[in-house]
Amino acid sequence: MQISDFFRGSPDGVSVSGPKIVCSFDVFGVTINLTETVIISWVIIAAVTLLLLWLTKDMQTKAVTKRQAVAEWIVQTVYGLVEDTMGKHWRHFAPYIASLFTFSILGSLISMLGLRSVTADFNAPLTWALITFVLIHGTNIRTHGFFGYLKGYVDPVPVMLPINILSEIATPVSMSLRHFGNVVSGMVITSLLYFALSAATKGLGIALLCIGVPAVLSLYFDLFSGFMQAFVFIMLTMVYISNADGSQETANAN
Amino acid sequence: MDFLTIDPGTILFTLINTLLIFLAFKFILFKRVDAILEKRQQEVKSVYSAADEALASAASDQEKYAQAMANAKEEAAQIVSRAEKTAQREGDAILAQARAEALAAREKASRDTEREQAQARTALQGEISDLAVELAGKIMEKEIRKEDHERLIRDFLAELDNTDEGDNA
Repeated sequence: MQISDFFRGSPDGVSVSGPKIVCSFDVFGVTINLTETVIISWVIIAAVTLLLLWLTKDMQTKAVTKRQAVAEWIVQTVYGLVEDTMGKHWRHFAPYIASLFTFSILGSLISMLGLRSVTADFNAPLTWALITFVLIHGTNIRTHGFFGYLKGYVDPVPVMLPINILSEIATPVSMSLRHFGNVVSGMVITSLLYFALSAATKGLGIALLCIGVPAVLSLYFDLFSGFMQAFVFIMLTMVYISNADGSQETANAN
Repeated sequence: MDFLTIDPGTILFTLINTLLIFLAFKFILFKRVDAILEKRQQEVKSVYSAADEALASAASDQEKYAQAMANAKEEAAQIVSRAEKTAQREGDAILAQARAEALAAREKASRDTEREQAQARTALQGEISDLAVELAGKIMEKEIRKEDHERLIRDFLAELDNTDEGDNA
């Protein structure tokens, strides 16, 4: 993380800003901002695409290279996770779960390269939560029919209607805010720490505390938190979507 | 941009980005690895079926060889018994021939003996008649001519011979 990004104004104040706008343009009177988040996402996508191309290059049925073993391990692990959580009939969902997890974790860990975390922009987790929201309701309509889906809102008694609607809306809001909150709080704490350490360095005259302390805290706030939030996000996505098709009860019964 | 804003542009771009990364995962990683896994499963299946076929053909070959061995044993027994029969027959034939030859040799020997006996008898007769004529001449002292006496004795001996043969028969 670049300290200068988060330190604004006078040295005795700390402020944390949102993503910078690289450029903005008008499309039919609507201002579209191309932000730091989007540019860094492109970097991540390019890196992931190249990595996947490299991993799956020259694959053979025999004489498996380590590269191919990694590729097969990723695919089978994701298949296993999706089948265990959602059931075998949701197997086709594995590529989306893998891409969501990768995007989320790399979006958080990119901060270790000194770039701004993609997931520290509320719009990114919000987009993924909205995708999950659409998939939940799409699955629900597909399984129960449109009227069956609407009837679900007045279950078990019609009085529950506002509470049911609220709980459906709460799902994407809680998912996105949880993810955003965790990453951004780590960022804020790290900013505060850098401020404190630089103040201490000024006070002591030597930058002793700047060595080691940020690395240990970064281990928790970047690595652990980034991994946990990505994992929580995909688990919630899988559970919510597979619950929506009503077959989870039978799957659990088995 | 503010710390917490909802920006439609970023949402739109993130949606597109998520779609891009999804496509990368689906059509690069999952598609290729699935194809490889499927292909490997097919290969394993074909290897197993080939092994089963080999096993079945080996079993049938074994049966065939066992059958062939049994046939060969039977044939060998037949050949041996046939050879034994042939040998027996040939031995018998040789034995019979030998017996016949021995018989023929014995007959020939006895015939030779008889002939020699006859010759000897004839020679003896000649000698006896000569001896008798000489003897009679000495006794009679030229009363009878030698030729007449000789003829008389030979006739007598011939008569004697004939009675002999009649006796033998």
